[in-house]
Amino acid sequence: MTEHDTQHHEPHDTRVYWYVFFALFVLTGASFFTYSDYWPFHDTPAVGWAFMMAVSVTKATLVMLFFMHLKYEANWKYVLTIPASVMAVFLIVALVPDVMWRYDPGPGGSTPSLERVRHAPRPQEAQWLHPPAPHEGRPAHH
Amino acid sequence: MAQAEAHGHHIHLQYQPALPLPNGKLFLWLFLSTEIMFFAALIGVYVVLRFGTPVWPRPHDVHLSEPIGAFNTFVLICSSLCIVLSLEGAKRDNPAAAKFWLLLTFALGAVFLGVKAYEYQAKFSHGIYPWQPHSLIYERPDVYYASAVRKRMVEITTPLVQRRGQIEEQLKKLEPGSAQRTQLEAELQQVMQQLAICEQHVLSVVNDTDVKPEQLAQLSYRIMHPWTDQQGKQHPPLGEEFPILHGLPMVIPGGNLWASTYFTLTGFHAAHVLVGLIAFAFFLPKRLGLDRTVHLEALGLYWHFVDIVWIFLFPLLYLF
Repeated sequence: MTEHDTQHHEPHDTRVYWYVFFALFVLTGASFFTYSDYWPFHDTPAVGWAFMMAVSVTKATLVMLFFMHLKYEANWKYVLTIPASVMAVFLIVALVPDVMWRYDPGPGGSTPSLERVRHAPRPQEAQWLHPPAPHEGRPAHH
Repeated sequence: MAQAEAHGHHIHLQYQPALPLPNGKLFLWLFLSTEIMFFAALIGVYVVLRFGTPVWPRPHDVHLSEPIGAFNTFVLICSSLCIVLSLEGAKRDNPAAAKFWLLLTFALGAVFLGVKAYEYQAKFSHGIYPWQPHSLIYERPDVYYASAVRKRMVEITTPLVQRRGQIEEQLKKLEPGSAQRTQLEAELQQVMQQLAICEQHVLSVVNDTDVKPEQLAQLSYRIMHPWTDQQGKQHPPLGEEFPILHGLPMVIPGGNLWASTYFTLTGFHAAHVLVGLIAFAFFLPKRLGLDRTVHLEALGLYWHFVDIVWIFLFPLLYLF
């Protein structure tokens, strides 16, 4: 166990962890706020998705920098994090064409098999299953 | 070198590690990179499937509770803080503090798993499973759904019809006015009432050869949600109001895909939480002094990774 002498094991002031915890708590609340009635962008869900992803990335960065101690580590952290980030970007880029592939047996969609055409759910039928607004406690979001 | 030996000095070779961190920590970071790839693949697939389908179920229909998800997120964030404070306690050579915070981390992790189990139970009890044949989810209110409902109604009504036949047989042999006869007649009335409920609410819809999809959709709505009849009277869901009508198939468009992705993502995450808890249980009995900082750091890194995965899973599964 001589290796750990080269590591920096001096204790930190723990206050920074409490500040990060409070920030994470506030960010979780912000993310959950998109669910509440006071969120102003219910009609454009893409705004909510972008906001939630930005909040999640911020939270993950805070956990990685402070709780996982990466802010204070030596340059080896770049050897691990940079290739992982590059691969994550590759994964997103590689999957983008598939996201556009709607399995919707209608104009603009792909040509799926007969079995899928027969059994795939239809948005119009989903409408029948949702009653008009007076029966519901809160307005339908999507 | 020969000169040094001639002078009687030993050559002191100094160990220079390739990276200035212990092997265990390096290994754990490399392991975390593989786990990141594992979850990135699952999350990527979820995103593709969710945004590629024409219809996705509403959270209410699949008994998904966003506040419970937010609570679970908060629990994991607290547990991440606790394990970091445990590591700080060990660095200060304070084993009591380290053990206290580690115990709190373990307890919060157990709370997370308990809440997850409660959520899973809420779905299973409503017939939402990620696999056939237990799953009662159908995608469209079509002839296949009607046929599945008819099949379930046969299972429900067959014992009732048999019992009715038995009672009628027995009643033929008994004299009028006997106590046994009145008892059997009361039971017969109950059985007939149950059959009438089946006929009125379900069989009248699904046995109609010209039934329209809107009517099947209405039946499915009544099975799943509280509903109001034409007279304006409020009813609870059919399975609650009439216990005989439990286990009826439902139409949840996109529900099967939702169940597969939800249970896969949260199931693998819960398995990782469980592995973390087992690791904590292994270290809790030990003395968590300065010599254990490396182990606590490793535990912390794994636990923070589990927290980060949940930080991404929560909005993707609950709020999107």
